[in-house]
Amino acid sequence: MNEVIVGGMRFALDLSQPLYEQVLDQVRSSIAKGEIALGEKIPSVREMAQALKINPNTVMRAYQELERDGLTETRRGQGTFITTDAEKVRLIRYRLAEEAVDEFLAKLGSLGFTPSEVAAILRSKGGEA
Amino acid sequence: MTTMAIQGKGLVKRYGRRHALNEFDIAIPEHAVTAILGPNGSGKSTFMRMLTALVRPERGSLTVLGERPSWQLNRKIAYLPDRARWYESQTVAEAVEWGTNLLPGFDPNRAWQILESLGLEADMEVGGMSKGQEARLMLAVCLARDVPLLVLDEPFSGIDMISRERIISALIDNFSERRQTVLISTHEIAETESLFDYAVFIRDGHAALSGYVEDLRAERGSVQDIYRQLYM
Repeated sequence: MNEVIVGGMRFALDLSQPLYEQVLDQVRSSIAKGEIALGEKIPSVREMAQALKINPNTVMRAYQELERDGLTETRRGQGTFITTDAEKVRLIRYRLAEEAVDEFLAKLGSLGFTPSEVAAILRSKGGEA
Repeated sequence: MTTMAIQGKGLVKRYGRRHALNEFDIAIPEHAVTAILGPNGSGKSTFMRMLTALVRPERGSLTVLGERPSWQLNRKIAYLPDRARWYESQTVAEAVEWGTNLLPGFDPNRAWQILESLGLEADMEVGGMSKGQEARLMLAVCLARDVPLLVLDEPFSGIDMISRERIISALIDNFSERRQTVLISTHEIAETESLFDYAVFIRDGHAALSGYVEDLRAERGSVQDIYRQLYM
């Protein structure tokens, strides 16, 4: 998996998983991490497809989903921009954090850890559980 | 519902006693980029030749853009045959003139734009070209045509890495600009699989598996992995 940086955003695509979801997830996390700022223009579908060497339809699908989530807006004749609404970005950060925690808890659950044991582990690592 | 650009049912074609296509069923969606995959001799080129009426099925039915293949229908198809060669004595400029005069839908301005992006110049002579340069020229001639169906039989085979990358980049531009139905057969799966919307895996003259590539990835992994599973 090669890492490619496009418009300040980092991408590493795994061909054994759907590409559309990966492009979507990776743009979302770039927004959450602040790799791309509020109100900033994102690369056109064609530029993104060229940089990632993927089908423009795949990029288009990911962009449409971002727009539905309100994370981007398209201005006629100007291109697509990250939202200027900081609240939306705050929400996406929490959503990503929740997803990461759910994944983590599911993994520990499958190893047989109880919630109190998980909390103890987090405390021992210096986290506040 | 998706409209199908190409539909074949029960297609049979033999060369001597060998079946090139054997009860071959296929349906290819419109406005998608479809990979036609399979080992040498699996029937890929025979199928592509059938689309342009160069080969007739012995049995079965085939519709392309809603019609039976014929030379009249070929006006709507830009076809790059496998092992294709261009006229040795022509220059790039003469090839563009030839296309302008003889190929339906050929747009010379677009041809020059593509030729430039592929690194070819007007006064280059085909006879003095490398295999990769000649392949780029023929691809440019196909891409310069504004037609509903583009059929490329092994556009990357035996071509150097730089030519391949340039061709891939020209294809991505083309997919961004046009709503064409595109068929590409190739063995360069690792390099090209991210370009495809749909894939058909041909084995022993029939379709062993077909589907949307993103669904196949979710269900079974990369196109390359599926290829290994099917043909090993």
